[in-house]
Amino acid sequence: MDIEIFPYRVLGSDTTEKILNELEDFDDVKRTVIHGPRFPNEDSLDPKYRERRVIQVKGNDITLKVKTGRIFVELTMESTIDKIEEICKKYIPFGFDINRSKTSYIRKEKTVSDNIKYGDMDLPDELIGMTDQYSKFDDNVSILRKDDLD
Amino acid sequence: MAQFYPGTSQVAQNRRNFTDPDYKLEKLREISDEDVVKILGHRAPGEEYKSVHPPLDEMDEPDDVVRELVTPIDGAKAGDRVRYIQFVDSMYFAPAQPFLRARSYLNRFRGVDTGTLSGRQVIEARERDVERISKELLESEYFDTARTGIRGKSVHGHSLRLDENGLMFDMLRRQVFNKDTGIVEMVKDQIGRDLDEPVILGEPLDEETLKAKTTIYRVDGDAYKDDKDAVEVLQKIHVTRSFGAYNPEKGWE
Repeated sequence: MDIEIFPYRVLGSDTTEKILNELEDFDDVKRTVIHGPRFPNEDSLDPKYRERRVIQVKGNDITLKVKTGRIFVELTMESTIDKIEEICKKYIPFGFDINRSKTSYIRKEKTVSDNIKYGDMDLPDELIGMTDQYSKFDDNVSILRKDDLD
Repeated sequence: MAQFYPGTSQVAQNRRNFTDPDYKLEKLREISDEDVVKILGHRAPGEEYKSVHPPLDEMDEPDDVVRELVTPIDGAKAGDRVRYIQFVDSMYFAPAQPFLRARSYLNRFRGVDTGTLSGRQVIEARERDVERISKELLESEYFDTARTGIRGKSVHGHSLRLDENGLMFDMLRRQVFNKDTGIVEMVKDQIGRDLDEPVILGEPLDEETLKAKTTIYRVDGDAYKDDKDAVEVLQKIHVTRSFGAYNPEKGWE
């Protein structure tokens, strides 16, 4: 079962960090996806204005690539939803919706894009829907050129 | 007395205040002339005004009764270029909104041309007049640093969710929130060219003040349907206009 947390405003990095950390405390929460408008890749703004930063979730560094417009959470028990609601009330003072109108917000089926990206390999179920479909080859791979001319 | 807008709600009253040229709008912040010029980006601060024709005094104008009746505005007298400023108003309780801006601009300013679109409003006038008008608009109730954007281009954002800190989405990030001071600063001019020094616009208004000052009917604020007077007048206009337009001879039955 998936739910969608839809805050009435787009969340900044600090609030996202706090919410994600609390969500990860639940054993019942299987997967979490953040969805929203993308941050620019290279930030020319002064750091005091900047929103994009590396957040810490349970001790792991995560570079935020998007602003948090929605959070999709996969869980199994109804009772967890109430607990999530409590957390949201704490961190989202301007209001939010928790939507459960769909059974699945996170994609569970492999798509053509996945096929192009990964070929015919067996993609583990828990990775389907977790990839950023707009990511480019350069985002994940660094090619070091060796200069052989000398 | 001129009748500007019907209705008994606070929103209706605010609309009347804006459109009434005799009503003095509250001054909320101070922005220097130089900063206004920087925001507009039409000329460098201190630079001479460029002109498109010689000053009117030096021109040999034909005899014309209208020319005698109408006093030219300063910019026209000097032969300035026509320049603009454009504002975007968020749907989330921005103080002004495009149609109201159009009505009030035309009531308040002379020698201007204004254009309305769903989310933005441009005002054009001779350069030195546009600077004077811009200063007035930026310093008064027309403008809130978070919910109103000064955007010459790339205006998208008026109907999007706000940022957590209350700022309207702006793809070019001209107005930005300084996390250290809680003040909104403008780091680019209205069409997105970097400024050398940020222009301090000031603190955003809080939610209560915005709800009291807004001219936008919203279900979560003042709902339009609750303003019986305004709805009644609107319906009357609608019916009269429909009959009048479709079959003027038939009229009311």
